Amino acid sequence: MASRPTVSIASAEGKPTGATAPLPAVFTAPIRPDIVQQVHTGLAKNKRQPYAVSEKAGEQTSAESWGTGRAVARIPRVSGGGTHRAGQAAFGNQCRSGRMFAPTKVWRKWHQKVNQGQRRFATASALAASSVPSLLFARGHRIGNVAEVPLVVDSKTFENAAITKTKAAVALLQAVGAGQELVKVSKSRKLRAGKGKLRNRRFRQRRGPLVVYNPETDGKELVRAFRNIPGVETSSVFALNLLQLAPGGHLGRFIVWTSSAFEALDTVYGTTTTPSALKKDFLLPSNLVANADLARLINSSEIQSVLRAPKGEARTKRANVQKKNPLRNKQVMLRLNPYAAAFSKEKLGQKTVDGGKPEAPSAAFINTLYEE
Amino acid sequence: MAAERSNVSSDLIWQLTRNQNAYLVKRNSGGGVQLSRDPLNVLNKHSFKYAGYSNTKAVGVQAAENGGIVAITKKPGTAQKPAQSLATVAYGPSASNRKVYKGVADRTAKHSYRADLREEAVARVSALRRAQKTKKDTPARKPRGAQARKAAEQESA
Repeated sequence: MASRPTVSIASAEGKPTGATAPLPAVFTAPIRPDIVQQVHTGLAKNKRQPYAVSEKAGEQTSAESWGTGRAVARIPRVSGGGTHRAGQAAFGNQCRSGRMFAPTKVWRKWHQKVNQGQRRFATASALAASSVPSLLFARGHRIGNVAEVPLVVDSKTFENAAITKTKAAVALLQAVGAGQELVKVSKSRKLRAGKGKLRNRRFRQRRGPLVVYNPETDGKELVRAFRNIPGVETSSVFALNLLQLAPGGHLGRFIVWTSSAFEALDTVYGTTTTPSALKKDFLLPSNLVANADLARLINSSEIQSVLRAPKGEARTKRANVQKKNPLRNKQVMLRLNPYAAAFSKEKLGQKTVDGGKPEAPSAAFINTLYEE
Repeated sequence: MAAERSNVSSDLIWQLTRNQNAYLVKRNSGGGVQLSRDPLNVLNKHSFKYAGYSNTKAVGVQAAENGGIVAITKKPGTAQKPAQSLATVAYGPSASNRKVYKGVADRTAKHSYRADLREEAVARVSALRRAQKTKKDTPARKPRGAQARKAAEQESA
């Protein structure tokens, strides 16, 4: 990269302020969906709470098997008499009011340890993907009116707790072009299928923009302003979370940066050569290929100059074509017999042999013939 | 494609999104067809060639609400600026088919834009134009047989 690309900073009205910020190095990190997905499946498990059936469920009877010889199955049966329960099978997972098969245990392995290096790689990768409009579109974000991706809003907008009201926060998002996105989210709200409705997950809806701020300069008041807008989430730049950067493990979350948060990214993640100031022993991962554009690589003169010439004819033979009669089709005849052109041009086919009468054989020939 | 990003290219974007993306429609019918809802996809077909979001140059042809046709093309070099990246031309409902074909074909194929999409783009215009025609009412059925005789009697009477 000859010059580092810059990103323009938008004002609260959505107009460019004229100021620019250099693109933090984390946006050139390799985009690796495999790592992001693997880390996401691990991290997504860490919010789970243990659940299990009661240890005693289905086991609270003194049933014993009747043994063989009574013409019934050897399953344990409830002892005693005087009630319908007596003599019924118990305990087994196939039995009515028996224990379930493989009862769930609270000591199931609920949480996953994910290596720190992988977590950091995945976060860097998700951040890099968040700066690619195509990936944002492919994730379903409505960013057609956004002036530039990554979208950076001037931190002056948030100074001195300027945005504390949700109304102001909505106005800001609409001004910077995220209005369609908010509409998409609020229209997407649907009643959840299944039991989740009873478990405080009544509705499901799309994810909207993620607002990333720097708590040191922007303050934390904006969190309260944004938190009641459907789909909008906020995060401190120092505590970015992969579950928010790549929901569902899908790359390309739409992020609204405050300018101070955007500028802090280089201190948080460092570059590929200078280690991060805040993370111990962390260098940004480098790309394996300097240029990701396959078509440009293949068509480059460096590659083309060392390739051998293609084998075979320039003309590819057509398969499965009707056989043409060379006697009727002149072109086919010419392909088979190049002399046919001269033959027909000279009209050799129509020519008579104009040698006149054959010469009479010589006397010597006749003599030899009849052996005189 | 983001030209200024060395770590991103159209090919990479396609590989990242070909299994799952917001535009993709997978159906079990038709042998598991994969279609696309991308407005910049002239065939609505899920493939790299037609995927408008992942290519730097792409063409979209849509029906306008007023009965016309809207042709959209992507401006190369504006990948990072979504608000400026589309060029739109609208053809009114009274524009002649030939004029729309010519306009769409030129925008698709001239200046080495996407000549490979010309035929599909023009075909899409044609299909949209046919769909936009108002349907004629089916004519009332003529009475036949006994009904016809009855009607004739009534008329003569």
